[in-house]
Amino acid sequence: MAPSTDSEFVTIVSNDGFEFIIPRSAACVSETFRLMLSSTNFPEGRTGRCVLEDYSGVVVEKICEYFCYNEKHKDQVNVPDMDIPPELCLELLMAADFLNT
Amino acid sequence: MDSEIPLPPPRRIRHRSPATAKPSATGLAVSSFQRAQRLSRFDDRSSQPSSDPALFSSDDIPASGLENYHATVSGAGRKRRYRGTWWGEQVLDPKRKRADFKDKRNVDSGVWMGSDESGAESLLPSEDGSAWGEDLRKSVLDPRKSGHSTPFLSEVENIAQTRGAFRSSEESDAHRFAREVVGNCLDKGHESIDLGDFHLRSIPSGLLPPLQHLTKLPSVREAPVSENVFTSLQPFLSIYLPNNYLSALHNDLFELSNLKVLSLRNNKLAEIPSTIRRLKALEVLNLSVNQLTYLPWEILKLMQHGELKHLTVRPNPFIPIEETQITEWHCKPNNKTEPEDEEDSSPSFQPQEQESSLNEDWAPLHVATGPITYMDMEGNPMRDSASRNRPTLTLSGWTSPVNDAPSLREVALRAVSKLPYLEQTTDEELAEYPALLVPLLQQAREVRAAGGQPCSVCQREYVIPRTEWMEWWDFSPCENGMKMPRCPGEKLRPLPFRRFGCSLSCVPASC
Repeated sequence: MAPSTDSEFVTIVSNDGFEFIIPRSAACVSETFRLMLSSTNFPEGRTGRCVLEDYSGVVVEKICEYFCYNEKHKDQVNVPDMDIPPELCLELLMAADFLNT
Repeated sequence: MDSEIPLPPPRRIRHRSPATAKPSATGLAVSSFQRAQRLSRFDDRSSQPSSDPALFSSDDIPASGLENYHATVSGAGRKRRYRGTWWGEQVLDPKRKRADFKDKRNVDSGVWMGSDESGAESLLPSEDGSAWGEDLRKSVLDPRKSGHSTPFLSEVENIAQTRGAFRSSEESDAHRFAREVVGNCLDKGHESIDLGDFHLRSIPSGLLPPLQHLTKLPSVREAPVSENVFTSLQPFLSIYLPNNYLSALHNDLFELSNLKVLSLRNNKLAEIPSTIRRLKALEVLNLSVNQLTYLPWEILKLMQHGELKHLTVRPNPFIPIEETQITEWHCKPNNKTEPEDEEDSSPSFQPQEQESSLNEDWAPLHVATGPITYMDMEGNPMRDSASRNRPTLTLSGWTSPVNDAPSLREVALRAVSKLPYLEQTTDEELAEYPALLVPLLQQAREVRAAGGQPCSVCQREYVIPRTEWMEWWDFSPCENGMKMPRCPGEKLRPLPFRRFGCSLSCVPASC
């Protein structure tokens, strides 16, 4: 398979099959994704497709939203708060630990 | 009237149903009286009355109206008195039976026959009106002593009694004495609470919150009243806790937003929580003879924007400024007090300094700023934290994970800290969550218990601090209540204040 490390977008897949295509730079907000995607030794790095086995589509959607939020407000000082629904915050805490972000 | 007790309506519905209302004169009188009672005491209380249930007398004597006012009095029997609601009647004096009472006397005393116009008079519950208030206060302030069991109060009392029993088994003497003192002050309206030399190791929970509602008693004693005897009943609340063994302060203490004087002299405090910013009315604070090595930056804010004018903090083992690393001097401590140009060249930094230029001799003076410690997403110091450079610059790869936006962990924790019922979760409940979440959730709960934690730079609420640094400020004019403006050439005695930032960009603006 052709290495796709130079591709601009990556795909994040949830455990129930939802796929989210986000900019590579946004995904690299997460240290875990950055290491995964930067090396061709991992299948993720070759295909540009990361599967989050532990999280459902709702959570992964929020994670991807956060990546874009972080990317957007990277250099701003007064960053507006991101809205997190209360029912997701515990799962997002777990995800934050896994993604190291 | 038959002796049958009508079916009680639900407690919230206060009107008498028309089916049970008798059109007789007594019925009318009773209902009007009850209306007055309702209006006076049970107007807006939906579940629990805040006061003792009223006493009222029976109206079960058939012809006690005006028409046979002069009927012969056979034996001066007293009317029965009831305590509680009129439907859940409970005879105060159970020895008297309804049957032998019926034929004795047909004349109503008239005490309880107030019409609608005289509603104010019917506010007086009984001839022992003074005792009624006494009862109320005893049962409210000291639930263990309350004697009567009324339908309304019984469950409250049960709770109070179980709690009392629980307390008495666990509570130390010091806590009990402290409770007595506080209860006494509440009773008498004393606004100065002296808990010195009580050997308190901690502040018992539930001791301080009632003080929020402490009311001074009016000082008018004698009849000739001049205008200047009227004083504010707003208490000048002072709490003195010197010479105890306190090593931590309960969050309850910081709930007392009208606290004016707080003395924590000679305790074992190693840190003052930043929650102290909530004591907005604080005027005098004594923290001397503790184990403080630094002060929270929020105290400084209380001095700059609040009422705090008299701060006593020495002696304490503060970090000496000579032994620490200083990244920026704002004015030389041994030099004259003239601030250097750096201060003026950073207009965005400490704008309040410029505002208070009129009384600059009084205002706290920023002396120096220490190095910034940057912390990672988990709140641990980063390895290269000693460097003054932003970690972003040192780690600058093609994409750096370190930037100014809050981490996902922080964003989620802020959401957690706003969850309802968070403060009611116990450690046991938290232990059911995955282990890596437990410390985070505990941290969020602490922040919540402290009423939120605003960043000292951007005022945004945060959970995990990302930056930390020390600032040295001199405020000798306010120290020890000397009330002397700083004279030029005086040696500054700066004190360390610890400050936190919520993101990597929340740092002193001059850095």
